[in-house]
Parts: sequence; structure tokens; C-alpha cells
Amino acid sequence: MLTRLKTQVPLFSMNSYTKLGEKLKLSGLSLASTHSHVIRLGRHNSKMAVCIAVIAKENYPLFIRSVPVQNELKFHYTVHTSLDVVEEKISAVGKAMADQRELYLGLLYPTEDYKVYGYVTNSKVKFVIVVDSSNTSLRDNEIRSMFRKLHNSFTDVMCNPFYNPGDTIQSKAFDSIVSAMMVQAS
Amino acid sequence: MAQCVQSVQELIQDSFVPKVAVLCSEDAQKITRKNNLNFSELLRPFCRLTSEGHMRDSNNQVQVVKNLRISVNNVVTRPSVPTSGVHSPAQRRLLSEVVSASQPAEGGVANVITAGDYDLNISDRSVKASVPWYSDWRDTLTELSTSKHYTATTPWFEAYRESFLQSMPASDHEFLNHYLACLLVVSSSEAVPVEQFLKLSQEQHMIQHNGEYTNPKWFIPNTLKYYVLLHDMSQGDEQRADSVYEDMKQRYGSQGCYLLKINSRTAAAGTDEQIPDPWSQYLNKTRTAPGPPQESLVRNDTRNSLPDDARPIVRRPTDLPVAAGYDRVSAGPALQLAAGTSHGACLTLNDHNRLRLFIQEFTFRGLLPHIEKNIRQLNDQLVSRKGLSRSLFSVTKKLFGGGKVPEKSIAELKNTSGLLYHPEAPELQIRKMADLCFLVQHYELAYSCYHTAKKDFLSDQAMLYAAGALEMAAVSAFLQGGAQRPYPAHYMDTAIQTYRDVCKNKVLAERCALFSAEVLKSQAKYSDAATLLIKMTSEDSDLCSALLLEQAAHCFINMRNPMVRKFAFHMILAGHRFSKAGQKRHALRCYCQAMQVYKGKGWSLAEDHINFTIGRQSFTLRQPENAVLAFRHILTNDSQQTATQQGAFLREYLYVYRNVPGVCEVALPQLPLPCINSSATRVYFGHERRLAEGEKQAATHVSLDQEFDQDLAAVWQDLEEQVVAAANRGVVPSTFYPTQCCLNSQTDNLHFPLAVVEEPIIVEVAFRNPLKVPLVLSDLSLLWKFTLKDFSRPQPQDVMVGDAVTITNEKEAIAPRVRKGKGGIPSVCKFLTFSLLSWQARLKLLPRQTGQLTILGLVYNLASTPSTGDSTINSPSVRGRQDLEIQGPRLNQTKEEKTSVSHGPDRRLDPTITPPMPLLEVFFLQFPTALLCGEIRKAYVEFCNVSHVPLCGLRVASTHPDFFTFGSSSLATPLTPLSPTSFENCSAYKTLATPPGATPGSVTAVTLVSAADFGSGGGGVFGTGGKRVAEIPLGEGTLTPGESTQLPLWLRGPDQEGVHEINFLFYYEGAEKGGKISHRVLRHTVFICASRSLSVRATACRSNTLPEEEGRNGSMLVFVDVENINTSEAGVREFHIAQVSSSSKQWRLHKCINPAENKDCKLTTRERGKLCFRATRCKPHEATSKSLEKYTFADLSLGNEQIISSTTPCADFFFRRCQSSESWRPLIAVETQGRHSRSQGAGPGGGAEDITGVVRKCNEVDLDIIVLWKAFVVEDNKQVILEGQLHVALQTIGKEACSLRQKEEAQEMVLLKFKPELPPPMTRPSMEQLSHLIKTNLHYPESYSHSFVQKSLCMIPVILTLSNCSLAQVDAIIDLRHKTTSPESLEVHGSFTWLGKTQYKLQLRAQEVMRLPLRAGFLHAGVYNLGTPRVFAKLADQGAMCETSQQTATPALIIINST
Repeated sequence: MLTRLKTQVPLFSMNSYTKLGEKLKLSGLSLASTHSHVIRLGRHNSKMAVCIAVIAKENYPLFIRSVPVQNELKFHYTVHTSLDVVEEKISAVGKAMADQRELYLGLLYPTEDYKVYGYVTNSKVKFVIVVDSSNTSLRDNEIRSMFRKLHNSFTDVMCNPFYNPGDTIQSKAFDSIVSAMMVQAS
Repeated sequence: MAQCVQSVQELIQDSFVPKVAVLCSEDAQKITRKNNLNFSELLRPFCRLTSEGHMRDSNNQVQVVKNLRISVNNVVTRPSVPTSGVHSPAQRRLLSEVVSASQPAEGGVANVITAGDYDLNISDRSVKASVPWYSDWRDTLTELSTSKHYTATTPWFEAYRESFLQSMPASDHEFLNHYLACLLVVSSSEAVPVEQFLKLSQEQHMIQHNGEYTNPKWFIPNTLKYYVLLHDMSQGDEQRADSVYEDMKQRYGSQGCYLLKINSRTAAAGTDEQIPDPWSQYLNKTRTAPGPPQESLVRNDTRNSLPDDARPIVRRPTDLPVAAGYDRVSAGPALQLAAGTSHGACLTLNDHNRLRLFIQEFTFRGLLPHIEKNIRQLNDQLVSRKGLSRSLFSVTKKLFGGGKVPEKSIAELKNTSGLLYHPEAPELQIRKMADLCFLVQHYELAYSCYHTAKKDFLSDQAMLYAAGALEMAAVSAFLQGGAQRPYPAHYMDTAIQTYRDVCKNKVLAERCALFSAEVLKSQAKYSDAATLLIKMTSEDSDLCSALLLEQAAHCFINMRNPMVRKFAFHMILAGHRFSKAGQKRHALRCYCQAMQVYKGKGWSLAEDHINFTIGRQSFTLRQPENAVLAFRHILTNDSQQTATQQGAFLREYLYVYRNVPGVCEVALPQLPLPCINSSATRVYFGHERRLAEGEKQAATHVSLDQEFDQDLAAVWQDLEEQVVAAANRGVVPSTFYPTQCCLNSQTDNLHFPLAVVEEPIIVEVAFRNPLKVPLVLSDLSLLWKFTLKDFSRPQPQDVMVGDAVTITNEKEAIAPRVRKGKGGIPSVCKFLTFSLLSWQARLKLLPRQTGQLTILGLVYNLASTPSTGDSTINSPSVRGRQDLEIQGPRLNQTKEEKTSVSHGPDRRLDPTITPPMPLLEVFFLQFPTALLCGEIRKAYVEFCNVSHVPLCGLRVASTHPDFFTFGSSSLATPLTPLSPTSFENCSAYKTLATPPGATPGSVTAVTLVSAADFGSGGGGVFGTGGKRVAEIPLGEGTLTPGESTQLPLWLRGPDQEGVHEINFLFYYEGAEKGGKISHRVLRHTVFICASRSLSVRATACRSNTLPEEEGRNGSMLVFVDVENINTSEAGVREFHIAQVSSSSKQWRLHKCINPAENKDCKLTTRERGKLCFRATRCKPHEATSKSLEKYTFADLSLGNEQIISSTTPCADFFFRRCQSSESWRPLIAVETQGRHSRSQGAGPGGGAEDITGVVRKCNEVDLDIIVLWKAFVVEDNKQVILEGQLHVALQTIGKEACSLRQKEEAQEMVLLKFKPELPPPMTRPSMEQLSHLIKTNLHYPESYSHSFVQKSLCMIPVILTLSNCSLAQVDAIIDLRHKTTSPESLEVHGSFTWLGKTQYKLQLRAQEVMRLPLRAGFLHAGVYNLGTPRVFAKLADQGAMCETSQQTATPALIIINST
């Protein structure tokens, strides 16, 4: 099944998103990305994500963290849009096989600068990791282990009796796990 | 998706139609001009053929041409389009105008698309208005994917596409846009029409073949010329026209000419006749935007000066089922314009038919045969060349390379990335033929020709031509229909790529992409279509990119699994491009549609961004209301933006807000900031009190600064209930409702609160600033509504004028509100305070009249902090309001309320203003904060009536009634001065100097006092609650307005150490009864820190002395243990026990047995002392029935002055202490009983109760010891004497009592009991108690001399006195048998024996004393213990009970001397 998912043709070719990205300079909120900055950081921290998001079952964000901060809006848009692909992939599995579905969804789609990976827990909580596409050292297995780590930490958050499921995650432990996976902004 | 009105097939067909040029003579122009049209425009509505045409192909097969449309245009020689492949600015402007002219219908039927869990309202015109709602969204999805109805249209996109295709330049590589024929139009009124025809014909020839003009392009060298004679029916001579036509027929053949008669309608005739105006929908749209750019396209010909000629034509398919809404939208603005310029005014319906007939005739007789002929010709040419040419071409190509390219070298070829063939080049012939076939809908042949051409072009590396052929091949393959050939999508992709990348021709690429996308969409390949469209977006044209992105977005939502988020994202991108292209309306629409997806889903950053853009766009589009709404949303939302961003938002909002026209005049608008936490609003009724005034300390009462405490509120309410009950003879009236001075979210707000006129109402509003930037609020005031109601007086009061300073300030804001008040009279005036304390503003309202007030909200100016330094004027500020709407508590009583969510009313802000009430203020003087346990201190309290009405019924209730006293009313002899004087030297007690010479501890002053004398004693009347309530002895019972009284107040430090919170509730009422407010209360809370002083333990012992000796029937020894447990050595130097007093109904202290030598009993820290007293029963005459309830106070002064304990402070506190301890006294009794029963096991049953009573009675002492002390305290280097008293209640003999209440309860965990506890078995008196029944005493000489020499036995008479302590008959057995317990005494001294009867059985009556003479016999000299008789006793009537051994007498030693 995994191979099937992997070979599935991404909806957008790299090329189309390259075009899009150029135009993603939305007014007012300054979507203009400082690509050079990101890329440089990406090279220095080869195993790092630039954005990590946890999305609730109802598709609202439980947690989003991204570096660099000034690109936050862009990442929000990217993550939000990726949910469509996640849904597509989940529904592609079909009802009967839903139980044996693998949680890791693989590459959702590539954009000009980033690759977006997805992971869906059995309770339909989605994890999205965005990595720099210039970062070629990241293998599928590493992404997988990042998701597993994230999932474990998320489970810990859920086990906290003081955490109200559905609230935004404000856990120091979770924060530190995420921070460890991310490009250091400094 | 952008659902097109046309199908894809129709769209493509209509995009490629045979083009016909028109050359018109000047006279003919004039004729058509009568109708406000030129000739080509005149024909335009009739250009679609309704009947089928037929033609034969090269194989003589009959081909049906259906639904053919031709395009008739004036000849324009000016090159309209540069060949660069990019639109000219003029064209861009035109396209942009077309797009902006097409807008979605306002208020059209909402078109809801359900996708996943989203319901998208695409508010465009919809083919089918409503989408049925399915609970199962999967069903909805399948419904969506199978049905084409639930889709939105984007008319602006279609308009753009039409316009775009129209403006396509005639290119060299394809012939579809080239003119196939030319209409030569000459008027019949011409002198020699034939000459005119010749002229025109020459002109056409010149244009085509001169080489002077590159434009227009002609399809075939010998263009079909069709001669049209235009006849004006209204003026011309019809016969002449006919004859000319005959002449023409001769000359050009009947197939090549036509006589068109129009204008048969005279101006006068038939104005009533309604002629449809088919031109309007074709022409007006372009006329709405006539602009100079079009002029440049126009051929400035002398004969053809009309600017209309070259206007791009916007086609409208007339014969398609066009939904009404569509026409309304597009024609809406046009119709208004058309009212001025109507077309076809001179044409009748008959003329319309003639025109239609003319076109039909021209097409079928002229055009189609011409095409047919040409196809055949071309085919022949190609066939003849076939085989030869093919091989030849390839061979030559191989041999000479680019040699067969006549004009250009290979190098040039590469440069232009295309090859230019000569127009007559054989490669082009096949393309030409393909185009011709395509135009006449012979798609099969067209496809094969295109296919062939494509191969040729590709082999020649003529990329532009190849791309064109590919494109058309794909299109014709698609149009062939059926399953003959699958649609070659890759042809299209290659074509687009070639156009764009190789040929750099964006326009052609775009055209190709538009077709391709449509085809893909029609085949439901939405994701491919979306990809294609997104690919086509570029930096070059914002408008184009925007439209394509929007289409892509629509594709996403039409997929089998709708991708709503992608839709939204691309809508945002589209909106962004639209705004860059200056299409603000479209941009706004896009953002609004995207908003639906993002709204309320927690993606706040994105939401903020969209809202911000919507706000901006709305503002520029002069929709300030929407802009304000959008900005409002950004600000109220809990924003995650940075501070600077928020600051920018705020400024933008304020700017927009101020520019909303006419908002401020009508009604104040609602402001979004800062957030008001309505439920946290607190309302306080009354003045803000001063806490202290000089030395006076005001009652704390309630203030806004206090936190609300639920438990405390319950305490206060309980106190108030008690005091109200006390005031109403023990009954709480049914109308009673606890007074609430300060209302908040936790108080009971179901009732209208009562406020008193002329007393301020303070409203505290809690603000919260959700932003990270500061906000500046100014001119804050309340909005209110008032209804006048007079509760007492028949005449309304005069309208009072309020504070003038602030009323002017608020008048504009307030005025419209006041008029809305039900009373209609703006009678209440108000003023405001601006106490902005950390986001809690307190606003004061002073009611001047009685009535009903409603506080509606707040008015204020909102501004942001100036971004740059000092300029406060620059920062914009807006005035607006916010309503205070408080939701009441959720109702949860009935079943309906539980199942639904309903809220009760909250009337916090709706106070009723009542007539004036008295207002009390209480001040305390010399009120201590720290006391020793049991310390007595005198303070003063001042009551002050600050209102204009008299006050009466003053009472006080307290949680600690034993803490204070106002003194007893009956004995209120003002011994101490009423006003406070020098504090240090004045004792709180009433003292008497002891008579000199009297030994301390021996003087006993006895006083008889009734408990009722001390007001508190009456507590029993009012039940348990009443005990806490005390009436305050005012002079005449009332306080007149402005009067104040000072009263002394004694305080006693609590017995428990620690900090005590003591609550006082002062109750008072107005002199007039029956007002809305029955009473008012004032609260006071003090905190007293009590530190340890002395601990007193006392025990009572039965004295063994004979009653006769004292002449009384009972006496007792009382041991009082006093310990100084004060630990602060620095503060308290020493304690002196000044006096010990007793108070009891039966006993009194008689004498101190061990008076200390140095008069006083001094105790320094951690010292302990013991005092021993004898207590006696009161004299019989004191115990009469009359004085049964009276207490005997006995004072034993140990110092040099006697404190009269029976007077005010001391006795007061004694009685108060009794009351509070009474409640727990019976508890202890039960406890002890229980213990007895347990120790004795199961009792015998009946009668045990009275035994217990009897037995207990005989042990009971009801004696209270009051220890009065003085403490010497060093305070600020001065020695201060403090006084105090401690109480010990002695209850039983032998049991120790302590001044400190033992913590008995809650010390051990009580086991949970699941079975009801068995009722305690009938209690039987314990052994110990029973052993106290009889008191024994031995009387004998202490020493006795006997000469054992003379007589060996010494007999000594001993008298045993038995005294029955109980009130019942007792059987006693006296056993004298000697049983010495210690064996050694026998050895050393031998023993003695009792002589005579050794066992007696006696019966003792109640309290009888019996003497029993005994004789003891001694054998040796020595010391003997005579206390060996053992006494057993039992109650006489209890047969079953065995005798209990009585307490052994103390050792009674006798010395026997031997002489």
C-alpha cells in the first residue's frame, strides 16, 4: 500500500508550484519570503524541519510552529492547503482498509521551496512537517521517525489530565520536542 | 467551476467561424446609419444560420453543416496586433474593461456548494439555485460530481474569453481568422451602382494584393466577392432597384449578388408596433465603454469614418437557452444606455426576415459553394502532388538542408524560433485545406489534414506552424465526437509548451490553454485542467493570471473529492492578482469566497490576512460598512499578530471608521475595542466611603475594592436574616430579600436592585485589551435610559440640574438616547468619573429622581497611541459605543431548561430608584487590632445619620457575639465617662477599693444578678438566632438627620489565639414604614489578632470535712491552676491575678485557702501558680424559687481593689460566654453518657435513666470561675496595664475544666458507618460515679496513750460518719473485716482489729448524715491507719444492682503511744 501511495502522482508538479510561489507575494501581510535565508539555514541544519503543525480532527490548528517567523502566514496557508491532499489520501484508502492504514502518508506535495509531509493518527489528528526542498539529505525514514517522535510526544500531551482535548497545545515538553526537530532560528 | 452557458463544442465552433469582410459605399452607409448601425452591425444578429447547409466534400459525400455562424466585419487595414505574441496595452485595457463590466449579480440567489464539511456560498448566478442538503455528505459529493447543475458561473471569465478570442490577431501560421469573402455593398440610390461596385471591387483587390497592407489577411487569393445592392424602401425607387438588380444578375450571376431591401418602416408609421431590438445585446456592451483606445484600431478612411467599425464584437449566442439572470446581468447597464440610442428604428419585422434571408442566401449560395470549390481545388492540388511532393520534400531536405526555405536561412529560422513559409508554400496549402474543412465542420478531414501538416511542420522544425497544427488537430479530434479517436491531450500540452517556450507567443499559448482546459473540464479531468490553468499564470498579465487562478480554484472544488482548501487558497491568489490588475470588485469577491473556507476554523493568521484585505478592498470600493466589519473582525479576534501589525490594523481601522460617512450623526456605532467583559461588570450602590477620618475608623461596609466571597456572602446573609427576624419579632418576613450593595456575576441578580435617590450608583466595567498595542480611551461615559416613576409623592419633583461640566461634554452622545426613554423626559442628570485603573473603569451615576433606570452601555473615544512621538492630535480617534449586555445565569431547574440552553435575566444594570432612606455611618474609636486572649478593652463607637430622614431600630448582629458588648441596659449607670478620655489609667472594670486591713483572698462580696438584666440574657426569646443580635441602646431610639451618638463598647479578646475575623452587621430602618426598602444594613469587618495570655484549669474536690463544722450542707474545694502561656517575653512582663470570682446558681466561692504572701499572685512567662478555694453552697434563702434563675456572683479579690464582677463588662462577657458555651454543653453530656454506657456494657433496662440522673446530680457542680487578671505590658517604652478575664466552667466533681476550650471535635476521623448506630443502651451510672454516693469520714483522737503493760488491748472509740450525697435513698454495707493490703505493715507493726460488729447494713435517706460508733482494738503502740472500713452502697430501690465500693477514705492515721 505504501508503495502505491508513494507512486501516486502528486497533484501539482514541481514546476507548477514554482510558478505559484513566485506569485505568492500577498500584499499587506508580507508573504515575501526570504528564501535565501531559509535555504542557508536549511543547509546548516540538514535534518531539520522548517514548519511543524498539528491539526485537529476538525481541521483547525492545535499547534503550528515555523521558522523563520516572518513567513508564518505562508506556512499557515501551505499547511492548510495540504489538508486537502491529506483528506484525499485518507479517502483513497477506503473504508474497509481504514484500520490497517499506515499513519504516515508520505510526501503530500512539493512546492518550490518546501516539501510537505503528512501523517494522520487513528483519531484523525494530522501532523504536517514542512522541510526545505533543498534539503536532500532527509530520507523518507528520517521523516518517518520525526513523525513517530511527534506522535509519541503528542500522546503524552493527550495523557495529561489537565489537557483539555481540542485546546491548543501549550506543553513545554511538546515544545521542546518540536524545537529539537526544527531549524534553529538564531 | 466556471460553468459556461455554452458547451465546449459550441464554444470552439463559435471561436472559429468563417470571416466575411464588408466594403460599403458611402450611400449605403447612410442607409444603414438610419438605424444607428453600420452594415456589419446590421447583419450581426442574423449571422447564425438556423437551417442546415449542405456541401459535398472531395469524395462527393454530402456533408451537413449545422448551426453555422459567420462573422461579418468591416475591413480594417491598420495592423491591430503586434506580432510579438503579447497583448498591446490597448488590448489589455479593453480586456480589463470587459472583465470589470461583468460582475456577479447583487443579491442573487445564493448558490451553496457543499464540499466536505464546508458549505460554500458562491454567490454568482446559478443555473439551479439550491443544493439539497444531505446529511450524508458522501451522497452530496456524488450528487455534486454527477450533476452539472450545482455549479457556479463566472460570466466575467466568459466575457474575457470571448473578448480575448475576438481580439486574436490574424496570424500567418493559420488561416482561420482570415477573410474568406467580401461583401460589396452599394446603395440603390447611387447614380450608377454598377460603377460603384466596380470601384469597391477594385479597392478590395488593391487591399488584398497590393502588398501595401499586411492587414487584413485573406484566406485565398481569389476572394469571393458578393455584390449586395442595398435598397432603402422609404425613399428609393423600388423599380429602379429591381432593374439594377436584374442588371447585376446578368453581370455577376444570380449566385453572386443580392438585392437587400430595408428601412421599410417610415418614421410616422407604427410607433405602437413593438419591434424587438436584437442588436442591443451585441452592441451595447461595447458601447458602454467607448474609449479612445479603440480609435487607434480604426481605419481612418474617408468613406468610413465611423469609429464603430473596428469595435471588437462581442458575440451573444441568440439561439442558446440563455437563463434570464444572465441577460439581466450583462445587459443591465446596457439597457439604460440603449434607451437613448435605439437600433433598427427603421426596420420592420419583415426587414428582419429579409436580413436573415440575405445571410442565408449568401452563406448557402455564395460562401459554402465557394468553400467547397476551394477545398476541392486544394485537395486536387495536394493529391496531384502527393507521392511526388512528399518524397521530394524529404529528399531535398536531406540534400540541401534548409535549401527549400525560400526566404530565411536556418540561422534566422532558429532565431525567430519559427519558420516563415511563403503564403503559397505547399506546406501551407494542406493547412489551408484543414482550416477550410474545420470551418465547415468537416472535422474528420480537418483532423487528418492537420495531422499531416503537423508532421510536415515538425520535420521542417517550423515550430509555430507545428504548434498551430497540433492545437487544431487536438481540437478537431475532440469535435469529431463519437469514440473514433481519443482526445489527444498531449497534442495540446505540446502545443502550449511550444507556443510559450519556443515561440514566446503568450497569447496563442493562452488561447490554446483556454481550449484545453475547457475540453479537460468537459471530460471531468479537473485536476489536469487546474494544473494547466495554474501553469498558464505568469507575471506578465495579472488579469489573465487572476482569471486562470480563479478557474483553477473552481476546478478544485469540482473534483470528485472537492478540495476546498485548495479552492480557497487559489481564490486568494486570484484575488491578489485581481487586486494587482485593478479589478477591485473581483478581488473582493474572491477573498470573500475564500473567507468562507477559512472562517472560524482556527486559522487565525490566514483569517486576519483575508479580513484585512477584504477591509481594504471594501474601503476602496466605498463599502465602508463592510470594511469596518472586516477590520472589526481582525481586532476582536484573538490575534496572534505581532504588535506592530496590530498597531497597523488598528490605525487602518480607525481611519476607515472615521471615513464612514454619516455614521456618527445617526447613531453611535459599536466599537469593537477594547473587549468588555460584561459579566464582570460590578454595580455598587452608595457612596464611596472613607475608611478613616482622623482617629475614627469607619465601618468597612462593602466596597468595589473587595473581592466577592461566596462564603462570606452567605455569612452576611445569615446575619441579616437573624437581625431581620429579631426586628420582626422572630419571624423573617416573606418579602425579605438580602441587601446587596455590590452586584457582580456571583450575586443573585434576578431582582431589580434598589437604589436610593441622591445616592450614587457606581458601575465598574472591566475592559480587556486583546491587542498587544495600547489603546487610548477618553471621554468615557455611560449610556442610560430612565423612566420616571414616583413612588411616594403625587406631584413629580422638579427636574434637577446635574453637574454642568460633564453634561455638556456628553450631550451629543447622550441626547439621542435620552429621548428614547419611556418617560419621554430627560430628567436624570449624570456625571462621570474617569478612573481608569488597570482596565477597570468606574463610572458614577447620581439619580436625582425616583424611577426605573437602565444602564445601556458605554460611550467613549477610541484612539491608538501615536506611532511617532508627541503628536497626540494626529492619532485618529473615533467616538462610539459598546452595549453592556449581561447574560444571566443558565437556568437549570425544569426539564425543559435542562435540555435546552436558556438564560435567566440579569438585572444588575436596571436599578429601581426609590425614595430617600436613612443612611448610617459608623465610626470606631480606639478600636484595637491586637488583644490578649480574654483581654477586656473599652472602645467607642459613633453612629451618624448622614441622610435627610430619621433613622431608627438600630441593631447589630455579629458572628462573634461574645466579642463585644454595649453594656447592659438596666445597669447602665455611666460610671465611666461616655466620651473617651485618657485611656491608660482608666480601667474598663468597675472597681471598689478593698477595705483596709482585710486579708486578701478572704473578702467575699456576694451579689445576686439575673441574667435577664444583661440584654443578652433575653436571647432565649428569639430562638437560637436571636442570640447574635443586640439592640443598640440609642438615646431616644432614633437618630435625627445629621445627628451622631457616641457609645462605649467593651471588647474581649477571643479565647482562641490567632487572627479572628469578626463581622458586624448594623441594621437600621427608616422612620416611615412600607417603603420599597424595609431596612438597610451596614457591614463592618474587623480582624483581631489574639495572643496567648493565661491558661486556667480548675478542679473541684469534695471536701471531707464534716458538714456540721461549717454549718452548711455542702462544701467543696476548688483548685485553680493558672499558667502564663504568653510567650512574648518582651511584650508582656507579668500577669497578676487580681481577683477570682465565681458565678453560679448554687455555689459560690467562699474563701481563698492559700493566699499568697505578697498579696498578688504574679506570674511571669511560663510560670504556673495554683490557687485553692473553698466553695460553699449558696444559702438556702438564696435558693428560693424567685431567685432560681439568678446567679450568685462572689468576688475574691487578691489585690487591693475589688472588681465588681456583677456589673457591665465582666458580667456581660460572662453571660455571653455562657450563651456561646451553652450550645455545646449538652453535647458533652450526651458524650459522657455514651461513654458510660460503653464502659458498663448492656444495662438492665428500665429505670436506669433516673439512676443516672440521680447519680449525676450528686456529682454535678455548676460553678463558673472567673479569673480576672492584670497584665503589665511594655508598649513603646511605657508600661501599660491590661486587664482581662478568663472563664472556667466547672461541671463535675473531680473533672478538670480548662479556660481554653478543648478541641474535642474533628480530631479523629470518624469511621463511616453504614448501619444505623444502635441507640445507646440504657445508660447506667459508671462505677466511678456510683462510688461517689456516700462520703465517709472517721472521727478519732489523733494520738492516744495507752499503757500496754497494764492492759494489752487498747480500745479506742471511732465514729464513722456516713453522709449520703445523693438525693435518693441508699443502702450501704459497711465491712470492717480487716484486710490489709500491704503485708509488711502487718509484720512491722502488727495490726489492729475492729471490735464488735464488723459488718453493718444501713439505709441512708437522701442527704442524711449518719454516725456509726465503732471500736478499734490495738495490741501495740504505733501508728495505724484506721481507714480500712470498706463501704458499699447502692441505690435503695434498685434491687438488681450490686453494691458498689465507695471511695475509700483518706488514710486516717492514729498514733498509739505506749506509756
